[in-house]
Amino acid sequence: MVLIAQLVINGVLLGGVLALSALGFNIIFGVMRVVNLAHGDFVVLSAVFCAFVFAQSNINPLFLLPLTAIAGFLFGAVVHRYLLRRLPGEIAKAEASSLTLTFGLSFLLAGAGLAVFGGNYRSVPYLTGAYHVAGLSIPQARLLAFGSALVLAALLGLFLRFTAIGRAIRATSQDVEGALACGIDADRVRTISFALGTAVATAAGALMSFIYNLNPQMGVLFTINAFAIVVIGGLGNYAGTIAGAVVLGLAQSFTSYFAGATLSEAAPYVLFILVSLFLPSGILGRRAT
Amino acid sequence: MKLWLPVAALVVALLVAAPSWLNGYYLNLLYITVLYVGLAYGWNIISGYAGYFSFGQIAFFGIGAYATGLIVVNLKWYWLLAALSGGVIACALSIPMGYVMLRLRGPFFAMGMFGLAQTSRVVITAIPATGGGSGLFLPPASDLRSIFYWTLAITVCAIALTAWIDRSAFGLRLQALREDEQVAGTLGINVTLEKMYAFALSALIPGLLGGGYAWFLTYIEPDAVFSPRLDLQSVVMAILGGVGTVWGPLVGGVLMTQIAEALWAKFPQVYLMIFGGLLVVLLIVLPRGIVPALVQRMRRTT
Repeated sequence: MVLIAQLVINGVLLGGVLALSALGFNIIFGVMRVVNLAHGDFVVLSAVFCAFVFAQSNINPLFLLPLTAIAGFLFGAVVHRYLLRRLPGEIAKAEASSLTLTFGLSFLLAGAGLAVFGGNYRSVPYLTGAYHVAGLSIPQARLLAFGSALVLAALLGLFLRFTAIGRAIRATSQDVEGALACGIDADRVRTISFALGTAVATAAGALMSFIYNLNPQMGVLFTINAFAIVVIGGLGNYAGTIAGAVVLGLAQSFTSYFAGATLSEAAPYVLFILVSLFLPSGILGRRAT
Repeated sequence: MKLWLPVAALVVALLVAAPSWLNGYYLNLLYITVLYVGLAYGWNIISGYAGYFSFGQIAFFGIGAYATGLIVVNLKWYWLLAALSGGVIACALSIPMGYVMLRLRGPFFAMGMFGLAQTSRVVITAIPATGGGSGLFLPPASDLRSIFYWTLAITVCAIALTAWIDRSAFGLRLQALREDEQVAGTLGINVTLEKMYAFALSALIPGLLGGGYAWFLTYIEPDAVFSPRLDLQSVVMAILGGVGTVWGPLVGGVLMTQIAEALWAKFPQVYLMIFGGLLVVLLIVLPRGIVPALVQRMRRTT
């Protein structure tokens, strides 16, 4: 029983942090129908940057988080405005070319990270202890990252629900033509969404630096995690994303205990394929529009 | 108008003669170029003609390589026969896989295939007979020449196959389902069957090439033959040359391999960065690829 409870705790803590990164991915996919293959590279680059700064000058990644988020926002805005927006508009081609473009971007970011920070694995050795409650151990760093991710996800949820821009983002993601008819500047909303999604990714990256040992080439891991979570939770369904993240976190914690680390690598892929085959609108079953 | 036929024959003849006057380094480069071009042609059938964008055809390359390796190590077959069987095994495995995966569309298929390739890598690593993560040693290879000829033969066949598809009724059916699968279905095309054929061909080609690659490496490990980078690089080549065209993968493959090689030799530190940046810029400048852009220009001037 204690073992199961421990595995559940590990999975939920992991899921919380993965959820934040996946929310950013979901905003971009929901509004633009763009699968951002560079998403994980934004996450990893931010995490490696935080670990690098921590090693140099002991600055806590939590203080760097606003900085990486702002940098991510600006970079995302530039990428959308000057690159993604220039792709040909034909629907059939647009999907393939945005995949290819973000794929090139992923190489560019991983390469830049490698050139600047080198290929070493980095992490932040901060709060390495653990709380012990009723025979369970809760790593402090994971708890901190989990708590911060929840706060940020809640702020993001409030932003999307109550601000004018947030409403415009949700409207565009539900129905572009309807949004245009209501006088929403869809082009501007897309730029803001891409920037916001990237900012969320880089913010999540700052928190990942507490948990993972990363090098700049590991972005694809986080891209597939985010994509799997979004598919599990349902595209454009933000509550589903949180649920999907917890499901993925649990799947990883259980498979890595019972089947070993190698097989647990396949967990996100297998979940992704199964859910997209059998539950195309996600585990919560609400049809994304 | 049939001018291209003697030109093609000349190029093939030159390539066949190449190993006798090229030194090791250039023969190596030539082998890698032909390999990438072949992989790009394999991808082009399912993704270019049928429109099912895949990020995981490398699964069949890896399966072909491992099947070949296991056959050589355990059954001690002649390697040409082993590589051929590797390709056939990859193709046979692609039928159940394609039956399931081709129900997905768009980015779901693309990423699902990526997941399938990674899952295959994990499964192969978990099988004890493959030596797991520490890899599989093959008996020392016969010379690079025969591996090169094997790869060249497959790549030339892949180009010929593509040229046939491009003007056959099969190719038209694939293009119809690429443009609109439902409409193609109502026109009486058995879309499930047609895309399964395309998928199987797109598995056979990398499967056969994988057998040669196993022999080229003589030591295969999961990360080397299921490398997403190898896969994505060949996808990039097809896209830059022109997706769904006969000559696009050739032009893109030859060009990109040379650029990648030169970059790698000159700027190993920033190689990835430049490669990625180049891809982004080329997509903005030539969104449909080099070959369609050239064809358009020639039509305009005449």
